[in-house]
Amino acid sequence: MKLSLTRQALVLAALSLFPAMGEAIYFRGKISWRSPIPPSEMVSVDQARALGGNVIWVDARPDEEFARDHVPGALSLNEDRWNELLPQFLAAWSPGKKVVVYCSAESCDLAREAAERLRKEAQVPDVFVLEGGWEAWLKKNR
Amino acid sequence: MKTQILAFILSIAVCFGARAELKFDKTEIELHPKPDDKQAVGHFTYQNTGKTPVKFKSVKASCGCTAAQTQKDEVPAGEKGEVTATFNIGDRTGTQVKTVTVETDDPANPHTVLTLRTIIPQLLEVSPTFVFWKQGEKADPKAITVKVGKEFTVKHIKVTSSAPDYQTKVEETGKGEFKIDVQPKDTNTANGTTLTIQSEDSPKVFYATARVTGAPPAPMVPAPAGQPAPVPPADQKAPVAKTAPTGQTH
Repeated sequence: MKLSLTRQALVLAALSLFPAMGEAIYFRGKISWRSPIPPSEMVSVDQARALGGNVIWVDARPDEEFARDHVPGALSLNEDRWNELLPQFLAAWSPGKKVVVYCSAESCDLAREAAERLRKEAQVPDVFVLEGGWEAWLKKNR
Repeated sequence: MKTQILAFILSIAVCFGARAELKFDKTEIELHPKPDDKQAVGHFTYQNTGKTPVKFKSVKASCGCTAAQTQKDEVPAGEKGEVTATFNIGDRTGTQVKTVTVETDDPANPHTVLTLRTIIPQLLEVSPTFVFWKQGEKADPKAITVKVGKEFTVKHIKVTSSAPDYQTKVEETGKGEFKIDVQPKDTNTANGTTLTIQSEDSPKVFYATARVTGAPPAPMVPAPAGQPAPVPPADQKAPVAKTAPTGQTH
């Protein structure tokens, strides 16, 4: 009886491999993976706080979300109006300042994209992405 | 044993035969908008190839910059339709990959991820988009490179500074590249300018910023434990130069 059950389980497992293989072949190359953010480019809420007044908070979320609420003193810098908003950020920046960019949550891409543009296009150093985004900041501060 | 396996396979086959199935022709679309386009729209066509209707539960885009819509809430068996994904380009550049997750009541395939890959053409690539001098630093010129996109031909560019305190000089360096030298009159006071860069035959405008920055911040003092750190003044606004623009054409 035991042998029979094991055999059945093995047969079922083997059968399930066929559709799985088919799906893997059909969807190959169709999944867009996000490149992970290196740990050196991330900061936690506590680490960002420890930077004291030497930090510029950048809110990469859309205008409506920024208008609803944001980290006190944060500057809005989203890709919808990047060219218009960037000069405001650059006026607040000076050498030696750290920049912490955030979006809604861990899963959003906006902060990563904005941080990348600041580093590559504007060549601003010390740009970090906030771990957990706005949600994480809210948990620690409200 | 054989009977049990046969029964299992048959039951699976029966389930597959009777189920609803929303089949998309493509789950990934690549779009190539024009340089001046504000939006890029992808049409994901589908057909319900099953024998029962399929209901849409939700259609969610991965980013606020993308709006997704279905034509109907329920798709009868055999019917065709499409999910439209509209991507607002805004000031984005390069290749943008956004996804739309479609949730249906089809138990066999409740979630489908549709991928919209938008290749935004870049007429001019400005690098870096920001140059600065520390206050008191020697006011030497700093270079900004402008590369013309592969699929475009640009013979001349026009550079305009929003503040007269900065001088610009444009030089064609060949191979579809230009060099802009920017120089402040002096670095005694913190100020800045926005450089507007345009090719001769396109209304599309590109920007760079040049600034004399204030003194570096004082050494860091960690915020006391449990207290929020001091932050810059709320919603700072950049000083906007209202002086007459100075322009230069090459």
